[in-house]
Amino acid sequence: MDSLRIEATSCSPLIDFDAEAGTLRIEGESYPENSFDFYAPVFSWLEDFLKEPAPAVVLDIGLSYLNTSSIKCLIDVLEMLDTANAQGRPASVRWHYDRDNDRALDMAEEFKEDVTLPFDILAR
Amino acid sequence: MKGTDLFNLQELLSRQKLLICFSGPFSHSVIEELGKAVRNHLETEQIGKSAIMDVFSVYVEQAQNVRNYTASCEAAGRPIPANSGIVVIGKDGDHYVVSSGNLVEADAVPVLSASLDRLRGLDKAGLKAAYKEQSRKPREAAASGAGLGLIDMARKASRPLDYAVRPVDSRYFFFSLEVQI
Repeated sequence: MDSLRIEATSCSPLIDFDAEAGTLRIEGESYPENSFDFYAPVFSWLEDFLKEPAPAVVLDIGLSYLNTSSIKCLIDVLEMLDTANAQGRPASVRWHYDRDNDRALDMAEEFKEDVTLPFDILAR
Repeated sequence: MKGTDLFNLQELLSRQKLLICFSGPFSHSVIEELGKAVRNHLETEQIGKSAIMDVFSVYVEQAQNVRNYTASCEAAGRPIPANSGIVVIGKDGDHYVVSSGNLVEADAVPVLSASLDRLRGLDKAGLKAAYKEQSRKPREAAASGAGLGLIDMARKASRPLDYAVRPVDSRYFFFSLEVQI
C-alpha cells in the first residue's frame, strides 16, 4: 500500500503516513478553509490501511492549534484507531506539545479522555 | 471616503479600544492574514502563549462562522450581501474582546438565539458536557463546521457569550456576538 504525504501549509498540518512502518505523523496547525475536505484523504487512506492485518500503528501528533472543525476530524481519526486497537490491531498515540503552551496540553488531555488505546502526552 | 469621515471612523475605533478591525467580504486568505496580524500583535504584548492562542482561536471560530454562513447561503442560491461581515478585536481593561457581526436570514434567528441562550445558562462543567456531546455526534453531510464553535468560544470566554440581533429589513437581521477572553 502507498504511503500518504501532504505537505504542511500555514493553516494545515503535515500529514506523513508510512504504510510499511505503521508510523503516522500529523504536525503543525490545523484551520484549513474546509477541514472535512482537507481530512477526507486521511480518512480514506486510514480506512484502507486499517483493513490490512499489519503492522502495529503509532500515531505521532504534534498539533499546536486546531480549529473546532479540525478537532472533529481528529476525533474521527482517533476513533478509527481506537476501534482497530479494540479489535486486535495494536494502535497507540503519542501527543507532543510545547511545554509553554498549556492549551495544547489541555487539548491533548481532552482527546485522551474519549479513547481507550495507549495515549502518551509528551512535553517537548 | 472624505478625510474627516475617515478621521471620525478611526477615532470611533480607537475610542472602542479596537486593535484590529476588518469589514468586508471574508475569504479564507483574509481570515488567515488577519489571524497572523492578531498573533503578531499579541506576541508583542506581555501575555502568555496560552492567552494568545485563546484570542486567536476565538477569532478564527468567529471569522470562519461568518464566512461559512455566508457561503452556505450562497450555495443555497440565496446570496447575502458579501460585504456585510465585520470582525473586531479590542482590549477592555485586562481582557481581550473578539466580536463579529453579520447579516443572517430571519429564519435562522430563532435557532441561533436558542442555542446561545442555552450556552449562556451553562457553567464550566455544563459547557464541557455540551462540547463532548456535540463532538460525538456524526457530522451532517452538508455542514461546513462541526457545530462546536460556539461551545468552544463559550469555554474560552471569561464571561457568558454576549449577542444581539436587530432587524435590518424583512429578510435580514444583523447578528452580533461578543466574546470576552
